Amino acid sequence: MNKKPDWFSGIFPALVTPFTPGDELDEATYRKLIRFVLPHVNGVVPCGTTGEFSSMALAEKKRTIEVCIDEVAGRVPVLAGTGCQSTRETVELTRWAQDAGASGALVVAPYFLKPSYNEVFDHYAEVNKVGLPIVLYNIPQCAGTHYCWWTAEGMALAFENVIGMKDSSGDIPFFMAALEKLKGTIGLFVGHDEVVGPALLAGADGAILASANLIPDIWQEIYQAALRGDAEFVRRRQKEIQILARIVTTKGSPQAVKEGLRMIGLPGMSNVRLPMIQGGEFEREDYEDLRTQLENLGKIGTQRVSLGGKEVDYALPADIRARFEDLDLCVGEGFAGPPFSELAHIDLLLGKKTGPVGKAIERARNEPRPGHEIEVIRERPLTLLVPTVTVRGAKAKQLVYEEASSGVNLALDHAIARHNLPEALLDDICLIANVFVHPAASIPQRVKINNYKAMRGAIRKALEGRPSLEELVAEKESARHPFRYAP
Amino acid sequence: MVEKTFRPRGVNPALVTPFAKDQSVDEAAFRSLIRHVIDHVDGLVPCGTTGEFNYLTPEENKRLVQIAVEEAQGKPVIAGTGAPGTRQAIELTRKAQQAGASACLIVMPYFLHPSDKGIFQHYYEVARAVPNMPIILYNIPQVVDAPLPRRVVEDLADIPNIVGLKDSSGNLAYTMEILEYAGDRINVLIGHDEVVLNALAGGASGMILASAQVYPEVWQAILKAVRNGDLETARAHQRQVQKLSRIFCRYGGGVAVKQALRMMGVDAGVPRSPLKSVGGALIHEDRAEIQLELEKLGKITVPHAISRLPGGPLEGRFEGIGLEAQAIRAAEGKVGTAGAGDGMEAIQIDLLCGAKVGAVGEAWAYQLTYPRHGYEALTTILEPNLTVRPSTLIVPANELQDLRQANLIYGPVQNAVAKAIVDKLAEGVIPEAAMHSDVMFVQAAVHPQASNRRILHHNAYTATCSAIDSAFAA
Repeated sequence: MNKKPDWFSGIFPALVTPFTPGDELDEATYRKLIRFVLPHVNGVVPCGTTGEFSSMALAEKKRTIEVCIDEVAGRVPVLAGTGCQSTRETVELTRWAQDAGASGALVVAPYFLKPSYNEVFDHYAEVNKVGLPIVLYNIPQCAGTHYCWWTAEGMALAFENVIGMKDSSGDIPFFMAALEKLKGTIGLFVGHDEVVGPALLAGADGAILASANLIPDIWQEIYQAALRGDAEFVRRRQKEIQILARIVTTKGSPQAVKEGLRMIGLPGMSNVRLPMIQGGEFEREDYEDLRTQLENLGKIGTQRVSLGGKEVDYALPADIRARFEDLDLCVGEGFAGPPFSELAHIDLLLGKKTGPVGKAIERARNEPRPGHEIEVIRERPLTLLVPTVTVRGAKAKQLVYEEASSGVNLALDHAIARHNLPEALLDDICLIANVFVHPAASIPQRVKINNYKAMRGAIRKALEGRPSLEELVAEKESARHPFRYAP
Repeated sequence: MVEKTFRPRGVNPALVTPFAKDQSVDEAAFRSLIRHVIDHVDGLVPCGTTGEFNYLTPEENKRLVQIAVEEAQGKPVIAGTGAPGTRQAIELTRKAQQAGASACLIVMPYFLHPSDKGIFQHYYEVARAVPNMPIILYNIPQVVDAPLPRRVVEDLADIPNIVGLKDSSGNLAYTMEILEYAGDRINVLIGHDEVVLNALAGGASGMILASAQVYPEVWQAILKAVRNGDLETARAHQRQVQKLSRIFCRYGGGVAVKQALRMMGVDAGVPRSPLKSVGGALIHEDRAEIQLELEKLGKITVPHAISRLPGGPLEGRFEGIGLEAQAIRAAEGKVGTAGAGDGMEAIQIDLLCGAKVGAVGEAWAYQLTYPRHGYEALTTILEPNLTVRPSTLIVPANELQDLRQANLIYGPVQNAVAKAIVDKLAEGVIPEAAMHSDVMFVQAAVHPQASNRRILHHNAYTATCSAIDSAFAA
């Protein structure tokens, strides 16, 4: 018997929860978010993992689900996250969600204390009695509890109200076993953004995704292509968003999504709730990376800004106030890894040829020093590559002057093409990239890519005057300097 | 109760295998290494994990055991003869017997993951094939990727020539469990340098350690203190070597031991590929820490160094970065200085803040264009990707002699300077406008032998705050 209802298909964003400065639910922004995703999705999930359900009080979760149901107004199903640590609270919230009009409940495996498989089974047996359609939710990365396929199978067969399962593990053999045992009995959703394409092509009925807050349209295209069997399209499109998907799944989903939303047009979106923080699991280098990905996908528009005395187009995220530095001496730092040995650290100076940067380059060209080779790596914009530490040996030379250098150059090409470094300024400015390559570096490709990433971030930060005073003050206590501590 | 023929105990170094530059075994170096330690130890362990046994041919393995026996002055030699396959382990054990080993240390079979039954059978077959050879079981899940199951050990302990277990896991719950179930029949040797005291107090009979070729006398002292019930003394000794033991255990193993020995003047050669002497499992930064810890232990002499604090008029202290006093005054640069702390963690901060446009800004840009060797300037960050503003260069006042000094300046000192600047911005002492219009230099004078990061961080923070206060008060 197939228990999967028709509504349990397609793309469901796991909605983030915006908070007010007073740390309450920000209803207005939440409604905006729902209106933003609604045209592209088949359902929504309030209070999922991405919605930070585990940091919310019961009453807050109820209010959030309520607002979601109200704003959606029946246009798509609302699958409410109602999983709690204890059976008692899970039953209470699920029962409440039923009364509130939710279409179903997404119930995470009970977490922190590690119930055995039969305890997990009995937990769901109790929730099953509520009567609301239930979607089992496997997310061992957070819950610490991984369904065995036979547990999932057992619950799907035994409980009449279990109509589906969301698998966020990214464990493809597990998902294949679920498809083998349960396809045609319950609906099977993938919840790991990096493996959506393969899961849909293998027979998944849909996807509940953090990144579907950001790019619901692209996920809908992928889903439609999978429905019509266009594997080639699915593969190509998944590849185009793979880096974004990887950032979102592995580097602090809620904050990644929230910052991404701010960049693309929801400037009122808050940060995550403590103990998750801005600049935490979603690191600052990930911010730059995500921004690059959103630029590549055409999600960040350009604005007319005044820079160096010229009116230029600049790719500016929606939440950044255009307070550009004078082009006397702009300083931007960029750091990117991993791995440790191949990390890149760039101190970038950017400024007018007539200012301190231009003078430094002029002087360096006139007073060469043997043993410390600085190199002009391009003429437009005039760019000098300086190794932070003396380069010793042929391998180090190659890594600095070929790999790091080509990463820096590529970053300049892309920054110009993507309106992060306005074309109109290129004849007026010059740059000094002080580049650190670790003496133990081995992998040329990583040296290049990390220098590319570090340089993209450094260029933006130099022009935009980041980090701001607010950012510095917010993080001055929590910042963790990697070399402050002994091994 | 089965009578065991050999009871492993005491302090036993897991000897490194010195390799020459051409990757061949350096026998002469191996002999010198043994002569260096033999008076301080109760036995020798060639061809263990620290000895890179898995990169040795059976012939090399046998030869190393033979040399150890020749050099052991009658002390027991426990030969590493483990292998992924049972046939190989038997062959190695037979060879070790021919070479004169007193016992064999046999690691749990690795790579393919045998079941409990397979693990039992492996040891059972080796013990049966070489019945006169005492065998020590070896639990090291860090490299085997699985623990040696207690129930298997419990049964193996009944075999007459299985005499001990080396536990390198560092998991004391496991150690206690083995003592509980097999301690009546076999001896447990601790193989994890960080928890030696704990394991001995819990009932272990001795140790096989990588660090027992670096500081065997410390381990002897702990063994003696525990036997005498003097836990306070034992704790003090363990604490003394805790950090070095941690580096050996977690950040480099035999590779790190080879570096330590080299620093002490004992030629231990290089590791075999794919391991690197430094820059692989052992990173350069940790090698610098080994040096520092060996200095503290008195294993290597500390080069005589004195702290030089910049003196004279404050505006005259920035000539190294190309700014004469006159230029600073002309550019209306703000200066401030302060010291904090005493002894080796004393620090002095000389600070200069000036406009981007003009002499200060130009000198600032030039520092990043032509770094001065030994005085490399770095932008000050709270953490990577979080640069403070006004953009600040931290410059060592005294030439950096080694990576350890660099680590302290660019680590705790830089972090403290960053925190002080942001705190002073938040307080309004540094005006917000300066974030965009100015740049700063922070010249930090740190004692060349400073070593306590926490105190240094505290002193650097205090000094930088005062220096900022005085610079911006004027």
